[in-house]
Amino acid sequence: MSAGFCFSKENMHGRLACRLVKEFNSGEKGQLNHFNEELLNEVAKECSENFLVLQSLIRKMQEEGLDFQTTRNADHYGALINHLSLIRNKRCLMAYVYNRAEMIQNLAWTVGLRLFELPEEIQEKLSHPEKEYFKKHSLALESYMSKVDLDLNVDMVPPKDPYIKVRVLDDVGEGIVVSDKAANFARHSMHFLKRTDAELYISRGLMEELTG
Amino acid sequence: MAEDFGEGSTAGMDEYETLMATTDVELLKTALRNEKAAPEILQFQAQLVKRAREQIQLMEETVEEFEQSGMDPLTVSLYQMDLDRAQFLLRSYLRVRLQKLEKYMFYIWKNDSLRNRLSEPEKIFVKRCIDDMEKHLEETVLSKLPDNYQSARRQSIISEEDDMVPEPQLDTFVACKSSNRFVSLTLVDSERPLEMERHDVSFVLYKVIKDKIGVDVDLV
Repeated sequence: MSAGFCFSKENMHGRLACRLVKEFNSGEKGQLNHFNEELLNEVAKECSENFLVLQSLIRKMQEEGLDFQTTRNADHYGALINHLSLIRNKRCLMAYVYNRAEMIQNLAWTVGLRLFELPEEIQEKLSHPEKEYFKKHSLALESYMSKVDLDLNVDMVPPKDPYIKVRVLDDVGEGIVVSDKAANFARHSMHFLKRTDAELYISRGLMEELTG
Repeated sequence: MAEDFGEGSTAGMDEYETLMATTDVELLKTALRNEKAAPEILQFQAQLVKRAREQIQLMEETVEEFEQSGMDPLTVSLYQMDLDRAQFLLRSYLRVRLQKLEKYMFYIWKNDSLRNRLSEPEKIFVKRCIDDMEKHLEETVLSKLPDNYQSARRQSIISEEDDMVPEPQLDTFVACKSSNRFVSLTLVDSERPLEMERHDVSFVLYKVIKDKIGVDVDLV
């Protein structure tokens, strides 16, 4: 077709972008999938192709001496379709990256503010720019917390008892001082700690709370 | 509930409740509840936060003093619990606001009246959030798109307004409780105003009561 779009199912406009968004959505709630750079670049490539067709159609109309604003011929609608496809692709790309960024913000609240605090299996799902974004966003949070002089990523659940019983799950190592008391936090040892002190280690998976 | 008492004691109860409801801890609890239930960011309660911080500091000093003077551990831990609760309220309040800022950074920043609801550190935080997010979107997506389509806020250069900025849903229902003896609300779709007495809970459109939060009604 002169309008420059194609009806074959394989190359239909927007199909790849749709796959990208679906891929984000298919993950378990709150779980990130691997960043799909390849698919993202393919969609971006489709956008460039849309743009080329769009430009060439506009040029063609200009050469024919037609006013693009008022003429309603096949070329006009062809250009329009390519413009709309491009926008749709853009929205899908942005939705993919933005929604992942929101989940990354969430990691800073629930897991930790430092990249090394994130478990290996989460880290490997992030792209390089996403890791950078995580670091920068964490810094913004930290800078706010230091300005108001209050840690906001502790105390996430309403306090019941100021002290809780915990078991150490990993070798936390010595030299960790909890509320000015140093203790030997060997693996599997159990302790009675201040909840605010322990929360940090629980969220990192280094300790677990013993209930009942 | 107030109905169980005679006319005379209702007034007494009211007075007592008004008194109870104006302690800073209660006010902070209300502020937190309002902030949590409202879809958009509310005015930062600067004075209240300041007072709460002062009180928390005072409590911390007291607990420390008690610990050093060898006070009965049970008493100390009761004070500690009270302190923890106050801390939790304050942290939750600041936290729920930050999380709203993360979610609607672009929307809040471009709207003067919303931006003015933020504290200074919050403003700095949003500004940084926007810079970081823009840079991230730029690097990952926008730089790969054709020239006229590289804005993070607009679909393309022919968009006349920001059509890619996530906005809170204001057209939504919230549960609110009247905090005054008598509140009358003008609803959009009904000729009769909605009348509420103290403690009445109604399910109304957020838009209808948004200017009355903290004055006539509180969200629950």
